[in-house]
Amino acid sequence: MRKIYSLLIGLVLLISISSIVLVKADDNGNHYGKDVDNETEKEIKIMNNSLGAEIRLLQLEKALLKNILKGEMTVQVLIGLNFTTTELESILTEMKALLEEVKTANTSSNESVQIFVSLKNESKNLTTQFRETMRGLLNDTSLSELRVRIKEMLNASDQLENYNKRIINLIRTFNGNQLYRLYGLVGEANSSFVNEYLNGTLPLNETKLQLCKIINEMTKEKKYEIFSEIKGENIRRQIHAQNEIEHMGDHGNGHGKH
Amino acid sequence: MNKKIISIFFLLIIFASIALAYNYFNQNSTDEKQYGSSDKTVTDSDVASQIDDTFIGEDSEIEIGEMV
Repeated sequence: MRKIYSLLIGLVLLISISSIVLVKADDNGNHYGKDVDNETEKEIKIMNNSLGAEIRLLQLEKALLKNILKGEMTVQVLIGLNFTTTELESILTEMKALLEEVKTANTSSNESVQIFVSLKNESKNLTTQFRETMRGLLNDTSLSELRVRIKEMLNASDQLENYNKRIINLIRTFNGNQLYRLYGLVGEANSSFVNEYLNGTLPLNETKLQLCKIINEMTKEKKYEIFSEIKGENIRRQIHAQNEIEHMGDHGNGHGKH
Repeated sequence: MNKKIISIFFLLIIFASIALAYNYFNQNSTDEKQYGSSDKTVTDSDVASQIDDTFIGEDSEIEIGEMV
């Protein structure tokens, strides 16, 4: 009889401890699976509209192209040093095919977040494969020298300049829309700051400071009201991102053109 | 002797119930804290932080790792 009681007590203790451990683990852990890291979660917050999706996919396109260029330069250097580069070239071919997928991804699709996350993960995997293959070919000193050489070659190339211009224009349009919304919230009809920002004559930090100044000079109640509105929209974006991630977990994270 | 054991057993069940109830309500209150606050005091840094979150940094980039 005593043994049964001891077992029951042990069982109750086990349930108590495991319930606490489970909740603690839930608080600290990532709720959304291993495919989405914190950085990606932040990136997809703006993808609740096609402009945000276009920005993120174009930024991914640029990052991928930059790595392809670096990879091609690396292969050129290695061929010059009589190394066999077949495996590296095969990875580069896959990266180029992936780049085409990024270019043709539909930014207006309801699944743009899933497509972005999937393409970004594939880009990271191929980059890691290339880097690991390189480590098998060269020692640390040679790799450091190669890094410097590739950086110089990339700086001399102007292939990424066009991307930089397109990305900055899109980001300014996105931020401009946000500025119009915020100035509308605070009730300031004067949009000269927005135009100056869009023209590139007023930096983003200055524009943000002007907004903060206007809000901080308001009465406590009005300030709270505006703050709640801004925070509310940010939370809505966060929830949208989390929903997308959870949806991705439910349906897998395959990507395609839509 | 048996009564003592039964008492300890019931005490443990109560403890387990309290632990579960605490965790349940604690989770709910954490969610509430994330999406709203009854405290109407908003500092300048709170405003600046929310405004920062509204915009995209012009130099922001997607990181996919280094090739070399």
